[in-house]
Amino acid sequence: MLAGAAGLLTAPGVARAQAMKPRLTVISQWSAGSDGAAITALGKKFEEKGGMWQHSPVPGFTTEMMNKLRAQIMAGDPPACSQLKGPEIAAWSKIAATVNLDGLVAAAGYEKVVAPDLARLHKPGGKWISLPLQIYSTNMLFLSKRAMDKAKADKIPVTWTEFNALAEQMKAGGVAYPIANGGTRPDDGQKFEAALAGISPAAYRTAIMNLDEKALKGPEVKAAFAQVRRIADWMDPNTAAQHYSINLRRFVAGDMGMMIQGGWAQGVLLNAGFKLDDFIIAPGPSDNTKPVFLLNADAFIFWQRKEPDLQAGQTLMAQLVMDPAIQTMYSQITGSIPVRTDVDLSGAGWSDGQRRTAAALKEAVDTNQAVLSLAHNMAQENGITAAMIDVLTEYVKNKSITPDQAVARLSSAVEGAR
Amino acid sequence: MTEAVPAAAQPVRRAIGALRRLPEFLTIWIPLLLSAGHLVSFALWTIWVSFTPSTLVPVSGWVGLRNYTAVLATRNWQIAFDNLLVFGSGFVLLSLSTGLLLAILLDQRIRGENVLRSIFLYPLAVSFVVTGTVWSWLLNPGIGIQKLVNGLGWTSFRFDWLIDGDLAIWTIVIAAVWQSSGFAMALFLAGLRSVDADLVKAAQIDGAGPLRMYRRVILPTLWPITVTVIVIQLQFAITTFDLVRALTGGGPGIATQLPALVVYDFMFQRGLLARGAAAAVLMLLILLAVLLPYAAWRYFQRRQSAHA
Repeated sequence: MLAGAAGLLTAPGVARAQAMKPRLTVISQWSAGSDGAAITALGKKFEEKGGMWQHSPVPGFTTEMMNKLRAQIMAGDPPACSQLKGPEIAAWSKIAATVNLDGLVAAAGYEKVVAPDLARLHKPGGKWISLPLQIYSTNMLFLSKRAMDKAKADKIPVTWTEFNALAEQMKAGGVAYPIANGGTRPDDGQKFEAALAGISPAAYRTAIMNLDEKALKGPEVKAAFAQVRRIADWMDPNTAAQHYSINLRRFVAGDMGMMIQGGWAQGVLLNAGFKLDDFIIAPGPSDNTKPVFLLNADAFIFWQRKEPDLQAGQTLMAQLVMDPAIQTMYSQITGSIPVRTDVDLSGAGWSDGQRRTAAALKEAVDTNQAVLSLAHNMAQENGITAAMIDVLTEYVKNKSITPDQAVARLSSAVEGAR
Repeated sequence: MTEAVPAAAQPVRRAIGALRRLPEFLTIWIPLLLSAGHLVSFALWTIWVSFTPSTLVPVSGWVGLRNYTAVLATRNWQIAFDNLLVFGSGFVLLSLSTGLLLAILLDQRIRGENVLRSIFLYPLAVSFVVTGTVWSWLLNPGIGIQKLVNGLGWTSFRFDWLIDGDLAIWTIVIAAVWQSSGFAMALFLAGLRSVDADLVKAAQIDGAGPLRMYRRVILPTLWPITVTVIVIQLQFAITTFDLVRALTGGGPGIATQLPALVVYDFMFQRGLLARGAAAAVLMLLILLAVLLPYAAWRYFQRRQSAHA
């Protein structure tokens, strides 16, 4: 009855709405580099389909974009569409009305081609209100070709033992810092999540994703902290709070050897003018030798708007985001892999690293080794994530903290944030 | 009858006088009331939010002191509070003494005083973000001062406070002192110039040397200025935010957190509005602990001078 009434109300407006140009107001953090290029390309496609694209980027960390989103929501003027991801989708959907995308998702047959863990995050309460756009693994291993030459090594390390051996070999071969890194909070968090998930994906799931107290204090978490200490000892301590991308030149030059970074680093490397031959990309170390995939997915959430042109814009945007051709275009620019599991990555335009990443995701989903990233706000809401990252970043920077102390601090930080 | 005219004109004249004073009345009182209302209403609103269970957006409800106990129990706040003690005292003492020294040196009727004064005051015109960024490069051992000195041949020279969790807070002291000792200098210089010339002459006649003169005669007259500088610098220290963000980002790790960073972090990074508000109220209390004694002292002083 409500739908009927709505239909009656909008009936005279239909003709006008059809003549109206679909319009979309979007906010995201993607302003520069490969991210900026990708969303600009998406905007072009939107305009090619006759839409009017109004993107307001908020550069910086995701949380800064969120502050703008919060301000707009509180002012009663949310964007038609915004970037948002992970458990924050469920949290934010409680403070403002979102668009139910079930019809569009069903029409596109999208649900069948999205990994189930990922789908769950984007349909809190069972309804699709947001759409994942691209996937990254946060624990990809980047190897500098020149550093490998210096170490006279050609084998990609699979387990942490092999990884540690290669780092020592690089050090002996004259690589100043076997690990390339930045000094930001997510960087430090990534080292830990890569270590724990690589040691035991099952322990990662119970400790980090389910916050099980016993698992948080378990031997795997302690072993992960011990591994992080080894990694930290191989890093350049002078990076202070710098972004990892500042060190890419030294990484390519072989002054730094390995980088545990998200797949997006490929896009950043290419955008900075480096070639695919300068480095190797492989799944992060995994002690059971099967790939572990730390999922990070960027997504768009759609906020309810009354304006017919914005609503038409939302429909068009949703269709575009789910389109395999668009996902291919987007991922080829940023270095991510498509959300759709049915996209063929064998063609030109994809790198070996991306093919390896996609294969790793497939295998990790099959073996239940695909887990959600903590450092990139996929595993927990921001409050708990930040409290945990506090412990991790302090541990990376302060070498007087022992793994035992770190384990105790991590579980008490979780306790305090709950 | 002749007397009635001025009597009738009086209210008119008074009205004209009030009308004439209307612009100054408006320009002073309206902005004053607006800004006071603004400040007070938002302060009250923040206090209210700190007692609610608000997270992403403000909501009503009552959780008592839970947000306060939670904030006080976090490692972040404890580190921030300890840092505030170190930074506050280090920064105030150093900028005060640097400023005083510069002022005394400038007061020696030297040539090029205007140029030097501008140079020392100039950092004040630079924003804290710029100061922080520049010092973050200078103090970075891999590219800054340490690298320079090492390159000159002194290879064992170490100046890596920026990446040392225990000493990193001092890098913020260095940058803040660089930025604001010029301000202290300007106030002290004004104070030095207003010292009664007769007093100085009398001391000279009594045979006081320059050192003794400063210690016994001139500096004691400066103490009201000193108190003012301390209070202004302290309230700056308590609210420092942008300098730390640009210089260390609160790191290494969380070693250089300060209360304002914790407030921002809770409110906008973690989406915990109520906890951020509680931290903000705690900051306000620290500020009051500085400002109330100052206000009381001013009041006491004014009463004394009124009686004298």
